[in-house]
Amino acid sequence: MTAPALKAVGLTKRYGRHHALSDCTLDIPAGRVVGLVGPNGAGKTTLLQLAAGMLAPTAGTIEALGGHPASGADQLAKVGFVAQDTPTYANLSIADHLRFGAHTNPGWSQATAEERIAQLGLDPRQKAGKLSGGQRSQLALTMAIAKRPELLILDEPVASLDPMARREFMKALMGFTADDKASVILSSHLVSDLERVCDYLVVLVASRVQIAGDVDDLLAGHFRLTGPRRELAELPGGVDVIEESHTERQSTLIVRADVPLDGGSFTVEKLTLEDLVLAYLSKAMPARPAWESTR
Amino acid sequence: MIWFTWRQLRAQTVLAAAALAAFGVLLFVTALLVTDLYADVAACTSDCDGVTKAFILRFNSSAAFTAHVIALAALYVLPALIGIFWGAPLIAREVETGTHRLAWNQSVTRTRWLVAKLTVGGALAVAATGLLSLGLTVWAQRIDSASQDRINPLIFGARGIVPVAYALFAFLLGATLGMLIRRTLPAMATTLAVYVAAAAAMPLWVRGYLVPSRHDTIPLIAESIHGMSISGDTGAIEVFGDGVANAWTVSNRTITASGATFTGPADPAVCGMEGVPAKCHEWMASLGLRQDLLYHPDSHFWSLQWAEAGVLIGLAALLAAFCFWWIRHRIV
Repeated sequence: MTAPALKAVGLTKRYGRHHALSDCTLDIPAGRVVGLVGPNGAGKTTLLQLAAGMLAPTAGTIEALGGHPASGADQLAKVGFVAQDTPTYANLSIADHLRFGAHTNPGWSQATAEERIAQLGLDPRQKAGKLSGGQRSQLALTMAIAKRPELLILDEPVASLDPMARREFMKALMGFTADDKASVILSSHLVSDLERVCDYLVVLVASRVQIAGDVDDLLAGHFRLTGPRRELAELPGGVDVIEESHTERQSTLIVRADVPLDGGSFTVEKLTLEDLVLAYLSKAMPARPAWESTR
Repeated sequence: MIWFTWRQLRAQTVLAAAALAAFGVLLFVTALLVTDLYADVAACTSDCDGVTKAFILRFNSSAAFTAHVIALAALYVLPALIGIFWGAPLIAREVETGTHRLAWNQSVTRTRWLVAKLTVGGALAVAATGLLSLGLTVWAQRIDSASQDRINPLIFGARGIVPVAYALFAFLLGATLGMLIRRTLPAMATTLAVYVAAAAAMPLWVRGYLVPSRHDTIPLIAESIHGMSISGDTGAIEVFGDGVANAWTVSNRTITASGATFTGPADPAVCGMEGVPAKCHEWMASLGLRQDLLYHPDSHFWSLQWAEAGVLIGLAALLAAFCFWWIRHRIV
């Protein structure tokens, strides 16, 4: 049994009195492509930086691939991390970056790195400072992939990219997950970025994990119920209401159900991943604008 | 990691090497001139005071004198430049541009990353100041032996091993402040301010106590009265005797037979507005005054050099230790 990609118990990070991450417990199996979704400021970056060992927790524990994050060269070699702003050295060339990677990583694959740079149509002599945002992200991803980590962590990798660069980036990422049997965790505030690549989802809102699980399981276990208002009040056991909205005569519920739902007098619909995430977002954000709340 | 740190500092190192080479040429050319001027002293076998004085006078009006002033200035400025341009951006620029997140996610621990940075940068700082100081110390040997003032604070700081220690201290000061301030320009400015304060405090308040100074009390004679100031109202007088030759006089008080600092009053008949300075000097010499002197003779030169270098290297080591602690426990 391989160690989980990420295991957190009661993980908390505070800055003064501000909670960036509260009591987060996760157990993400290895070999998955994990999407971490949540609005801006939910604590996604904090969680990923804790996993990469860039930050130390205030309370609780976190392990990546069974090891303490950034605890030593071995652990660092196993985990690749691309920070949100995809930093590169502006005055150094692409070739210098690759040489840096080759000098500092035991598992480095120079062939992989050079091949990717060639595929991107980049000149290795070009200074990183002269690259576009998309190209810099690609360089940072190239370095992380050529390091050949067992776990690759990407913090909002496509947030600053245009749609074209976004697609290229995701294509490159999928190529990586297909080739190496590695685990990937990537964050975004848009479900649509993640939908096509992820098979595991973590929803983080207001510093807390709302739900985490296999995408298929999540989709199989959540439903939208629509029906006459009164009858929906009598729901069978094992059904949790995530979100509800009502009109005079009709109610719509989004529920999580571990048991098969009997249709009865209301209709049962499957949810899209986006609907599912939105339901958890609105559940966890009490300070919704008035016009958004139903009635 | 060593390679990468070197790669990051390469451009500045080439610049520094070019500047050092230019200095080498300047020193070499003027060394020939000094050898020329020194020929009389070198040939002198006995009673050489006059010849030596003449050498100093001719040196002071030659191009070599200008070269000496420039070299002195360079040895004072170089450690500050190293602190500002190599030390302060070392960590601050990485944190400011976020590249530490790239560097710290290669398979190299932060500690090793910092070891490489401090080692390469520190070695370059030591090499640059070491070469310059060695060059000047050798170049100035004849001048120092003729003028016998190498222990004078101004010259002392630009000779021997002390400049190397200043450079190492400045480098680590810059690195530490950069790490704490996390922004390059403010870190550079702060480094300059703190370094200048430290470099000024050293000769003013610290150096004199690093090695026990010599204490002498000698009779004040008329010829050794260097100057005085008399208050017109009270007749209070302050007398300044000559310092000790071929030494750095740390403290020089004129005292009475009882050991108290002499404050007058002056005899208005000889020392007032109408008095003659020579008469006044004679009068003072007749009072049985003494000079109470604390000084470092030339023989203290190397023990002072080692002591001061030791203090600075010790401070640099403390700063380095603090950097290692901070980078592992505090920085994000």
